[in-house]
Amino acid sequence: MTPEYKEVLTELLFQLADDDFIHAFRGSEWLGLAPHIEEDVAFSSINQDTMGHAVIYYKLLEDLGMGAADDLAHLRDASAFRNGVLLEFKNGSGEYLDSPQYDWAFTVVRHLFYDVYKKIKLEALKQSNYEPLANAARKILTEQTYHLMHWQTWFRQLMQSTEEARARMEQALLRCWEDMGGVLTYGQYGDEMTALGLIGSEEALKNTWLAEITKLFSEVDYKKPSDEPKMAHGNGRNGEHSADLDHALKILSEVYRSDSQASGW
Amino acid sequence: MSQDQSTFYEEYEVFSRKKDGMPLEHRFSLLAPNAEMALILAKENFFRREPIADLWVVKRSNIRKMTQEERLAFGRLDKAYRETKGYADLVARWRAFKEKNGDQEVEIDDAGI
Repeated sequence: MTPEYKEVLTELLFQLADDDFIHAFRGSEWLGLAPHIEEDVAFSSINQDTMGHAVIYYKLLEDLGMGAADDLAHLRDASAFRNGVLLEFKNGSGEYLDSPQYDWAFTVVRHLFYDVYKKIKLEALKQSNYEPLANAARKILTEQTYHLMHWQTWFRQLMQSTEEARARMEQALLRCWEDMGGVLTYGQYGDEMTALGLIGSEEALKNTWLAEITKLFSEVDYKKPSDEPKMAHGNGRNGEHSADLDHALKILSEVYRSDSQASGW
Repeated sequence: MSQDQSTFYEEYEVFSRKKDGMPLEHRFSLLAPNAEMALILAKENFFRREPIADLWVVKRSNIRKMTQEERLAFGRLDKAYRETKGYADLVARWRAFKEKNGDQEVEIDDAGI
């Protein structure tokens, strides 16, 4: 493995790991707050799965000598994170333990956008010339079908439900569109990732995502915004993040930082 | 949600099949606003740790159940002669029959039954 290959590979792995990790964390903040009890159980399960996917990627980084997986998840500064900014946004106003006014429509759309893309990306990663990554993608894909089905169902239902639901969903769609570009990009080493055979081209995957999302939109009679998905709040792949990521990291690493022994549990 | 909460959710009965070709088994019940939601919620609520090959959900109100009175229709007299177990004592009965008629010729033995 050449130093250049390793550098680009770790960059890609951090993107994959951090996307799933932060996304799963935000999802886990719905525990006990989801719209009804069966959804609460199903959503929590999905978040556990997704956290497990992050662990697989962090372990690949550990195997490359980047440090212990738990440390990578808990002890890095926000600027070292490579997740798309959309995934780090708070679920809504308030705090988990203090008057959470979370936005279910935003959560449904964010999860739909992300999971449609994640499936496309995993399919592409099956062809990666880094064998451990290709194997990880095959494994993770087995759970991805259900995750996607879950959010597609919520999306179709809320888009065709009451007027209020439709209005809230459309608002969430516009908001997610503003930053989905940050999920769809590979960041500054994108060309190298593809040239080195790690993953198919950013452009190809983005176009597949646009085609699949457009199809879903047309099912519920919604017109795709004419412009491309943007990254209004910065490019997380290059270490640019919102204050919401600091907020998330502070909460999720609180126990680990105060007593690393506790993480053994 | 503008709809009345008391009628928005309905009970669904959840059935699963362990493997293709195996019988469908009733497993659980859950609340959902429609069949699509019931299906995705059933999957993760009940089969997260258990492999299955197939999953069905049925709205409880669509099931024609029996009333307590109708269940009385299952009442019946003993009709053991309609079942194999009704003939379990045949060997003993033959023996008793032969003993009773010891002096007469009875061609059928136990093995011939």
